[in-house]
Amino acid sequence: MIAAPLAQAGEGFVRDRSGDAGSCVARDGVCPDWIADNLDRYVDPLLRHVLLTVVALAIGFAIAFALGLLAHRRRWLVAPIVQVTGILYTIPSLALFFLLLPLTGRGFLTAEIALVSYTLLIIFRNVIAGLDGVPADAVDAARGMGLTDREVLWRVELPLAVPEIAAGLRIAATTTVGLASLAFFAGAGGLGDPLYADLNFKSNVLVAGGLCVLLAIVLDLAVLAGQRVLTPWTRVAR
Amino acid sequence: MTVPPAPAGDRPAAATTPAAELRFEEVVKRYPGADAATIEGLSLTVPAGEILVLVGPSGCGKTTAMRMVNRMIEPTSGRILIAGRPTAEREPAELRREIGYVIQQTGLFPHRTVADNIATVPRLLDWSRDRIAARTTELLDLVGLDATFAGRYPTQLSGGQRQRVGVARALAVDPPLMLMDEPFGAIDPITRDRLQNELLRLQRAQPRTIVFVTHDIDEAIKLGDRVAVMRPGGHLAQYATPAELLLAPADEFVERFVGADRALKRLALGRVRDLPLERPALVRHDDPSAWVRAQLGDAEVPYPLVVDPDGRPVAWLDEDDLAAERVDAAAGSPVAIVSRDDVLRDAFSTVLAHAVQYAAVVDDAGAVVGVLSSDAVARELAPAPAPAEPEPAA
Repeated sequence: MIAAPLAQAGEGFVRDRSGDAGSCVARDGVCPDWIADNLDRYVDPLLRHVLLTVVALAIGFAIAFALGLLAHRRRWLVAPIVQVTGILYTIPSLALFFLLLPLTGRGFLTAEIALVSYTLLIIFRNVIAGLDGVPADAVDAARGMGLTDREVLWRVELPLAVPEIAAGLRIAATTTVGLASLAFFAGAGGLGDPLYADLNFKSNVLVAGGLCVLLAIVLDLAVLAGQRVLTPWTRVAR
Repeated sequence: MTVPPAPAGDRPAAATTPAAELRFEEVVKRYPGADAATIEGLSLTVPAGEILVLVGPSGCGKTTAMRMVNRMIEPTSGRILIAGRPTAEREPAELRREIGYVIQQTGLFPHRTVADNIATVPRLLDWSRDRIAARTTELLDLVGLDATFAGRYPTQLSGGQRQRVGVARALAVDPPLMLMDEPFGAIDPITRDRLQNELLRLQRAQPRTIVFVTHDIDEAIKLGDRVAVMRPGGHLAQYATPAELLLAPADEFVERFVGADRALKRLALGRVRDLPLERPALVRHDDPSAWVRAQLGDAEVPYPLVVDPDGRPVAWLDEDDLAAERVDAAAGSPVAIVSRDDVLRDAFSTVLAHAVQYAAVVDDAGAVVGVLSSDAVARELAPAPAPAEPEPAA
């Protein structure tokens, strides 16, 4: 069986079925009592999930942003970067984990390489789109007033590209939260650990899945809040 | 004891930055692969403190010529000198900070408030916060914007207001040279007229050298101390004062570009005070008609003009109105009123719009100082005697 080397991932989460055969737990149901008693067991996987997601987003953003700046002034780079990151984006995540196993082994690093790969295309495209969307007259005026290329980039182009870049980051954040739930296949833990350990048990699926959704929403709102702080001009009354 | 030197950027600006002379010397711009040059051997000198208007149809290279001044475009050959110094010697960014730059789309930064937009170049030059704040207030006032505009974003302004901010931003460090690329091109005619007048007012208060690009010959004639008419292919067709351009177009292209109504356009150059005014018979409401008729004998205008106690024009009277024993102001015809400072074109148009072909000319207080007749304007339009040809010595 193909998943054999990974099967031990969720072993810690086997529930106690010794109770009454007719009990909620034994019937795989949604059991508030069980959830209340076992919620603390999800804290570590959740924190691990947050770590997987945030580190992947930070590294992915750093790489894609740098590539975006590089390609902004060297337009010929855009097509090859989109192609390469596009290929990374289309490799099924499970396949990527297995491809990486012989190279980087099981664990955090393998998971991060895969997760980062999936953020690159989204963030890169949005950085480029954001910079392309900056009004040409603002850039012309900036240069004409004596701003150097670097000053034009940091004082005019990037601030005006923030809404578009933030939009890319939000999509990447939501996607990464979802993909990180597969990281346990690479032995990297996260909410996938408890989730896949007992997919039949509705209480387990509800808590693990629910925490994933909650995390995605929180990250999305965090990026949105950051964007609003950075772009006061987009909210003025006209 | 010595006073520590002020930080470099904090030296108070000289009261007036001297305007700089601008010189094009055999400037050529040729793009690789293009058959024809964009600019072909452009040579001209703009004396310090004058407005050069580059005018011509689309594709004549006028904007290219302007953008070569601050090295936004590099000439293929030839050189450009500002105050005698070749621009090629300067770092482009450093050079541009000393040259005001205004473009049609305004180029205001949408993410910055009006005050921050104006502070762009002062910040690059490390001015102190206090100095920037003081200068911003001063500039908003100079371009006719209320101080409350400082905190607004460009999207909250009208087109005319945005262009005012654009001009204020270009004036921030008091540059000796300004480049303006169709700055009023996208603005409604009434606001454009007002902004043009304000530019001339600013220029009178503190002359600086301005390169102004437009495709509108009327704007060129109104604003330019000198006008360079360019024809497609980047050739300078004529470089002259507006009056010379209208009186003696260099060739058929200029003549066509200036327009068939160039005689009328000359009216845009003169002002009412430049013409000899005629003396009317000034009368008051309730004056005896017989006395009024006697006054007409001395006057140069055949109709008596009723004025109020402050000397302001009220009505023209004709023979029928004088049939009554005494003058009745309400019976007269409405008076066209022009100011001594109006351009002749506007004044003439006012005269033509009224039944009586005379306009009362008033001073700043509104009191009548004379009368402008359509005949006087027509005499002004009569072809001027050709400039005397230098006669060969007899």
